[in-house]
Amino acid sequence: MNAAYTELRVQADTVWQAVAKPQRPLVRVPIATCSLPRGASETLDALKSAVADRGLDVDVGIIGETGLCWLEPLVEVRRPDGSAILYQKVTPENVEQLIEEALAQDGVCADLAFAVAAGDDVDGILRLSDLDFWAMQERRLLARCGVIDPDNIDHYIATGGYSGLASALAMSQEELIKTVQESTLRGRSGSNFPTGTKWEFLRGKEREPKYLICNADEGDPGAWVNRILMESDPHAVIEGMVIAAHATGATYGYIYLRDEYPLAIDRMEKAIEQARERGLLGENVLGSDVTLDLTVWRGAGSYVCGEESGLLASLDDERGMPRIRPPFPADSGVFAQPTNVNNVESYADVTLMLEKGMEFYQSVGTEANSGTKLFSVSGHIQRVGVVELPFGFPLRELYHAADPAPWQERRTLKAVQAGAALAGILPAHIALKLPLEPEAFREQEVIMGGGGIVFIDDSACIVDLNVMFSWFLEDESCGRCTTCHGGTQRMSEIFLRIARGEGRQDDYGKMAILGQTLQWSNCVHGSASPTIMLRSAEHFREEIDEHINNRRCPAQVCRGLVRYEITGESEALPDAAAICPTEAIVQADDAWSIDQARCIKCNACRDIAPDAVQVVDISAEPVPATAT
Amino acid sequence: MLDTEATLEIQQLVAEFKPGNADLLRALHKVHHRYGYIPKESMAVVARQLRLSEAHVYGTVTFYSELRLTPPPRTRIDWCSGPACRIKGGEYVRTALESVLEIGMEQNTPDDKLGLHLAQCNGTCDFAPQIWVGGKVVGPLSAADTIKLARELKEQA
Ligand SMILES: Cc1cc2nc3c(=O)[nH]c(=O)nc-3n(C[C@H](O)[C@H](O)[C@H](O)COP(=O)(O)O)c2cc1C
Ligand code: SF4
Ligand code: SF4
Ligand code: FES
Ligand code: FES
Repeated sequence: MNAAYTELRVQADTVWQAVAKPQRPLVRVPIATCSLPRGASETLDALKSAVADRGLDVDVGIIGETGLCWLEPLVEVRRPDGSAILYQKVTPENVEQLIEEALAQDGVCADLAFAVAAGDDVDGILRLSDLDFWAMQERRLLARCGVIDPDNIDHYIATGGYSGLASALAMSQEELIKTVQESTLRGRSGSNFPTGTKWEFLRGKEREPKYLICNADEGDPGAWVNRILMESDPHAVIEGMVIAAHATGATYGYIYLRDEYPLAIDRMEKAIEQARERGLLGENVLGSDVTLDLTVWRGAGSYVCGEESGLLASLDDERGMPRIRPPFPADSGVFAQPTNVNNVESYADVTLMLEKGMEFYQSVGTEANSGTKLFSVSGHIQRVGVVELPFGFPLRELYHAADPAPWQERRTLKAVQAGAALAGILPAHIALKLPLEPEAFREQEVIMGGGGIVFIDDSACIVDLNVMFSWFLEDESCGRCTTCHGGTQRMSEIFLRIARGEGRQDDYGKMAILGQTLQWSNCVHGSASPTIMLRSAEHFREEIDEHINNRRCPAQVCRGLVRYEITGESEALPDAAAICPTEAIVQADDAWSIDQARCIKCNACRDIAPDAVQVVDISAEPVPATAT
Repeated sequence: MLDTEATLEIQQLVAEFKPGNADLLRALHKVHHRYGYIPKESMAVVARQLRLSEAHVYGTVTFYSELRLTPPPRTRIDWCSGPACRIKGGEYVRTALESVLEIGMEQNTPDDKLGLHLAQCNGTCDFAPQIWVGGKVVGPLSAADTIKLARELKEQA
């Protein structure tokens, strides 16, 4: 083993003992983008001051995210006996109870306990390994997420971190690239391009210096899988980049990180600093002849800057407009030098493969796609979070784990939207049959994408979803190609018109023409932009027809096709009138009604007086004023 | 270009940046961080520092939605335009904000105390539909909650 690494490991092991085998209770709070809004840092402060003020013999620390977002802040209490209990939603309001019952004494706070993560069973408390949302997962990339302190490089090293790099350094460039090729790893951004092949392109270039880019722009709305890695296990990304530097001869790297992720920026910068101090970045990494230094480079809010050539333009002091190719990045990337671009998860996957070995890496997944993929799930489900699943995992099982018990007002799943605005949408009955694997999605003429999955029930309207996505695509088009900036505008216009009740049957023909025209675009932003529109027209024709032919929105979402009416009585009507921002709710002769000329259809009155206010189709008969 | 006190300050701010060094957006971020927006004079200073044309710098600033050319409001309200928020009533939240504050996205109230910004999903979708008030997530919000909150903010401001 690499001598420099062995030395780092010895020191790290000592530090890690405090967590692995604590001498006294250890309570840890995830500090992350999902836990902070519910007051995680106040919870942490409260724990710290309770320990200080009461002189409790307890250590307090931080961790990253587990991916169980809906339970945040999820506080972990570990004890010297090896037990670990997770407490859910420990907010500043209830943290005192936890302190009182679980820290001031050697007990369990049953009200807040969520699950037993380690140690003996506790009566009435779930074992984490019995939770379907947890049990279905193959936690490899997430193995350290929610387990180590992301700001502590020793935690990373002691849990096997940088041993993958040490192994890689013992290999030749050719061996290393062959390993990555044989792993079947293909770009996790949704690009699906073989990572080893890309690295081989860069290795073959003679012009120096060569550059590495980590694409951390994660612009897909509904995807936050890169964020969880960067916030919870930042060194896994750095380590993957150093391995790539060895494989390709690159000596400098940029992590292009979206401006919307300030905490991830902070964590990555800290991690880079620590890696430099330990000789894991800089010249002669771990005593080898590999050199790599990294900079975190902040984006500024542009979706096409996630497209690799737009990203390069953005770095290169230009507007972030996707470039015309060739030349490809391996020939001409940053500063016109040879460059390799990979996604955050792709780099982390290489780290995993080298740390754990190929046999382990390939022990799950399918033949074409070894290993695991991260997914973030959101929408009409109860458990919003991030999971790591083996390729080929049934989407239906993921859905059931994410939305186990029926909701109060049960609605049916209508559609699944994976991979964000460019990737497409499928009706539930097709989507739920798919295994999570790029090929299966391709067969349905959609893309699996970078990991975001939104579950949509029948309270949503397909026309409205198209209004949202086509507007997003129009807004984010860089403007280089007339087909793309004009085409996405036409898409928006068509759907806005349909949503207003002015759709026409020949709109379907227009959609088909647009779908073809958009193929003549410079980058995938343009060429993939009609996917959602085309799949909607194919699979949700009836619903769109209902808008066009009968001026009716079955989900009663499109505001041009509905009216708000007072159809019942309620003591809350005066409050509804008071909340109305346009004073549209009027009372005359004791009877309440809504002045349709003023109503902006904001829905607030229905929030307040659901028994009295109804949304009706625009074509419905006028409702007489209701007496109270 | 005449050097005024303001431009001298901006010059110092961006003195570390060099041409051809992937520094344009970094310089703009630094200016934005300092002033809360990109003042007109700063674009000339940045252009000179990086040996770019002013038109190039202006073109870049206008390309990115997180860079603004006008002073920020005292409290910025970011509205999430993402999918989870949308299907859970995000449009109602937007309508409520716009009608109570009487402004549209990317505008400030006349006294510059409050402003609206159209934001992208950052993966806190468990709070959908949500907004960020001065950078802090608030959600899930009904239209009625939003109207109450917006009225309170307006009164406080
Ligand atoms: C409009 C558009 C946006 C993209 N956004 C991202 C992004 O945010 N993150 C990302 O890693 N890749 C994104 N990509 C894909 C990149 O162009 C590129 O293929 C990817 O970074 C390569 O990494 P991989 O091979 O490791 O997947 C985007 C592509 C397009 C067309
Ligand atoms: S396809 Fe669209 S985003 Fe891509 S270069 Fe053309 S205009 Fe720009
Ligand atoms: S929907 Fe909004 S604007 Fe219309 S009556 Fe109700 S509260 Fe007023
Ligand atoms: S807890 Fe933050 S990613 Fe879910
Ligand atoms: S869609 Fe609004 S936070 Fe994700």
